[in-house]
Amino acid sequence: MKIPYYPGCTLYTKAKPLNDSLHASFRQLGVELNELAHWYCCGTTFTLARDNRMSLIAPVRILAKAQEEGDQLIVPCSVCYNTLKRANYILKEDTETLDIINEHLEESYNVKEEVVHPIEFLVKNEQLVKDNIKKNLAGMKLGCYYGCLLLRPQEELQFDDPESPSIFENLVRLLGATPVDFPLKVECCGSYLVVNSPDAAVEASYKLLRNARGNGAEALVTSCPLCHYNLDALQAKMKQAHSDFQELPVFYFSQLLAIALGVEENYVGLEQNKVSPKTVLKEHNLL
Amino acid sequence: MNTKVLTNPRFIKKIEEISEQKISDCYQCGRCTAGCPFARYMDVPPSQVIRFIQLGLKDEVEKAQGPWFCAACLVCQTRCPRGVDIPRLMEAVRVLHLRAKEGLLDVETINKDLLMDAPPLAIMSAFSKFTY
Ligand code: SF4
Ligand code: SF4
Repeated sequence: MKIPYYPGCTLYTKAKPLNDSLHASFRQLGVELNELAHWYCCGTTFTLARDNRMSLIAPVRILAKAQEEGDQLIVPCSVCYNTLKRANYILKEDTETLDIINEHLEESYNVKEEVVHPIEFLVKNEQLVKDNIKKNLAGMKLGCYYGCLLLRPQEELQFDDPESPSIFENLVRLLGATPVDFPLKVECCGSYLVVNSPDAAVEASYKLLRNARGNGAEALVTSCPLCHYNLDALQAKMKQAHSDFQELPVFYFSQLLAIALGVEENYVGLEQNKVSPKTVLKEHNLL
Repeated sequence: MNTKVLTNPRFIKKIEEISEQKISDCYQCGRCTAGCPFARYMDVPPSQVIRFIQLGLKDEVEKAQGPWFCAACLVCQTRCPRGVDIPRLMEAVRVLHLRAKEGLLDVETINKDLLMDAPPLAIMSAFSKFTY
């Protein structure tokens, strides 16, 4: 099986482990993630000004390319997923804007493409995942961190219940691990505020990690490169600011998927995690 | 006490146009502010920014730092009992500033380590929210 795939810019640079481990895992499942031949940045964070049509051009061009390859587009980065899916939703409702954009582009988008997150794909194809598990993650207690962009706005994304989601936990269970519920799993990590108000991101992420650990998590799992940066790389700053802070490794969901599917270690990219997840993996005989 | 309310219909209309929200929908319950993870950094929190807009207090809205600490996390949008899309209003306030070419983020002022370290989408997102 071949499915169109949009990695987005960050998966080629800072979030390479997400890209590599996802590709390798899907290959193991017999699914070829078929990267679009030409793609551009989605524009990152979705523009909320309704009179700004320019910001919809990048998503439309990506979706128009995707429609040539198949009717579903797999998008793993939470930011890209949110932006592409919101653009899709809005253009379905607002045909006037769609017509204007189509008129100005070489390509013409039919608004039929479905934007799918790999977690949605994996949970839907549960049996396929189960049949290919080589190393059960049994005993691992994982906090599933959704953040904002997979869940909200729910009307447009339809990913899961925005206050009490469970799809991520279902995936983790599928891999044999034990999901740990923690109230802040749907709260913001500080997002792009890290650029101009870094303290706000450090504090928000600190609260999240403490909340997850306090509820018994040995590690956190996420799908967003920006959340991953705030939650993982900022832990050094959290340690400086809070004497009680204890480190917690943060995985991309695809890294754990790859481990469970027995993917070769060099595709998992564990060295790129700032807080090393190796100890916790060794404790569970996964390394 | 100044009892004269300064309504500025053009300002209200502009914000409503950019956000596609009806500002009078908000009945000031404060739920958005209560749940906002960044309200503690805001001199004027979301519900109060909205109150200022309702009253047409353009200068007060322009001075408020609240909208610049909004991470567009959409928690408030999910919880507002009146269906107000608050982050669209915060964006409208920012956009009015930025369209007057008063970008608030200067690349020179960003920490160099962070520039090298952070994922490109962090930098791009910040620029798309805080510059013209
Ligand atoms: S939650 Fe909604 S109704 Fe309540 S103050 Fe905020 S915007 Fe107004
Ligand atoms: S969207 Fe903005 S105003 Fe609303 S809760 Fe999140 S940070 Fe606060």
